[in-house]
Amino acid sequence: MVLPPVAVIAVFIGFPVVAAIAYTLGRAGGPNSVVASLGQRQFIVQKGVTFDAYRDILSNPTIHRDLWATVWVTIVVTLVVVAVSWAIALYLRLTDSWLARTISALSVVPLFIPVVIASYAILVFYASDGFIKTVAYHLGFHGFPTLGYTLTCVTLGEIWVNIPFGVLMMSSGLNGVPNNLIEAARDSGATMPRVVRSILLPMNVIPTVIVATFTAIYVLGSFTVPYLTGPTAPNLLGPSMANFFNSFNQPQQAEVLAIVVFVLALGIGAVYVWANVRTGRRSGLQS
Amino acid sequence: MGKRAHGQTLGVAVMSAIESEGVVLGGLPEAQLPAAPLRPRRAVVRGAAHRIAGVVFIVCLLVFMIGPIAWLALRAFSGLWQYPQLYPKDWTLSGWRQVFNDPNLRHSMRLSFEFAPIVTAASTVICLPAAYAFSRYRFPGRRFLLISLFATNAFPKIGLYISMAGVFYSLNLMGTFLGVVIVQLIGTVVFMTWIPAAAFSAIPRSLEEAARDVGAGPLRVFFRVTFPLAAPAILVAMILSFLASFDEAQGTFLVGVPNYITMPTEMYTLVLNYPEQVAAVFSILLAIPSVVLMAFARKHVMGGRLAEGFQLR
Repeated sequence: MVLPPVAVIAVFIGFPVVAAIAYTLGRAGGPNSVVASLGQRQFIVQKGVTFDAYRDILSNPTIHRDLWATVWVTIVVTLVVVAVSWAIALYLRLTDSWLARTISALSVVPLFIPVVIASYAILVFYASDGFIKTVAYHLGFHGFPTLGYTLTCVTLGEIWVNIPFGVLMMSSGLNGVPNNLIEAARDSGATMPRVVRSILLPMNVIPTVIVATFTAIYVLGSFTVPYLTGPTAPNLLGPSMANFFNSFNQPQQAEVLAIVVFVLALGIGAVYVWANVRTGRRSGLQS
Repeated sequence: MGKRAHGQTLGVAVMSAIESEGVVLGGLPEAQLPAAPLRPRRAVVRGAAHRIAGVVFIVCLLVFMIGPIAWLALRAFSGLWQYPQLYPKDWTLSGWRQVFNDPNLRHSMRLSFEFAPIVTAASTVICLPAAYAFSRYRFPGRRFLLISLFATNAFPKIGLYISMAGVFYSLNLMGTFLGVVIVQLIGTVVFMTWIPAAAFSAIPRSLEEAARDVGAGPLRVFFRVTFPLAAPAILVAMILSFLASFDEAQGTFLVGVPNYITMPTEMYTLVLNYPEQVAAVFSILLAIPSVVLMAFARKHVMGGRLAEGFQLR
């Protein structure tokens, strides 16, 4: 029963990925022959492997700046998304007012909007004739910076896209904490910050790890948000990959970038898997 | 679930919290979070401050979350609108007329509505049995497969599409209907496997066993007991798949161009080559299915089903 999706994955993801790795290491035979016959500036060997393609791209100063931009945007977005979704989820967990319900409704809006539209809307919103500039102008800040086509805009866009997942995950994690635990602690005189620190925080570790890892992986591999809202250079690695493939016709370099991002994402994914296995083992001991 | 283990460590945590409270009491500010029960009267002032802070936060959130969408929606109906006017000088529907009279745009709308149902159906047929197997059987390599499913999600999509394109050339799938369906299908596999798997796992085995004890065959058990209970989650997964396919732009762009340009792919060109109102109108049209379908799935997605699907078990 597991076979069909595994076969689909193996044929259309596993196989291309393996072929891509071979290609980045200089092997242009088999499934890579068509790409290799079209590409430029390739490093091909007939026997063994070569790391020249990696050397070529990783010594490229533009790529250095892209790499750093990617790492920084990923870190900032992940931290902000975790912090904001924690705050919102916590507020929703502890109160039930019209305020809380409004916040909860607002925070899931991006779920309803396709990413392409969201990116475009965010670009227009922060553009040189956008809402933010207009409001700033009317408030007297005539020289307010234009955020459209900057990395700040990319960061804001990525946060916007990732907030709903964060809030939903954190909320469902915090809702799993039984009320009587919180009440018991309150009755015994624990202050609210204390309750948060000693009860809610430790019981919500897994959702936090999930939100952090999925957000980071999403941002690392994202294309549409940085492509539409970001600057030409330095931008995130997603658009620069597409540039190497489409505009520069250097598929090998594009694949190298893909592998680099994949390795980064796998490093983050390992944290997620580790956290899951750890709880899995713990619950295994229980039953 | 590990709840009991948590409970024990928690008990200790709570106890130590209570013990150390004598020292900490008064040192810590009371209830930084609003609406904590049983607050002293002094906190009423603070409560007002919290309320104001809450309203400020809501306004910021409103601007950040809704602002871009509302601003774009205004554009769809605006005529002349120059910076720094806060709202357009005159209103027009010319953007809408332009979209509906453009054969390219109309064609892309039709294509989008052809691909998404096909991809969703294919994904359901392929993935549901796997989801059931993942939740009900412990077979060798199960965890490895679950993790490799996750890994496919971790590989940067654009890089994946580029490597897929290489293989697609060799298989003659570039620029074909099937090629686009496969590219879009890839993006739905994770939803279609994880969310239903979590739903199947949540159904007590005893229910199925009871049905089997009274003589129901395995198929009958599945369709009369298991499936109806898991149906809401499956529906959520299908809706998410439909939207994933409907909104998929990068892979379709790489594989489908120039024969199959769907709505989101059209957006890339639209943003650069068309007047702003046209792009705004098209955005609204493209967002309609998402809004409608997500409104249907809202209760289930919010109810924690999405979250359950992300725990590897």
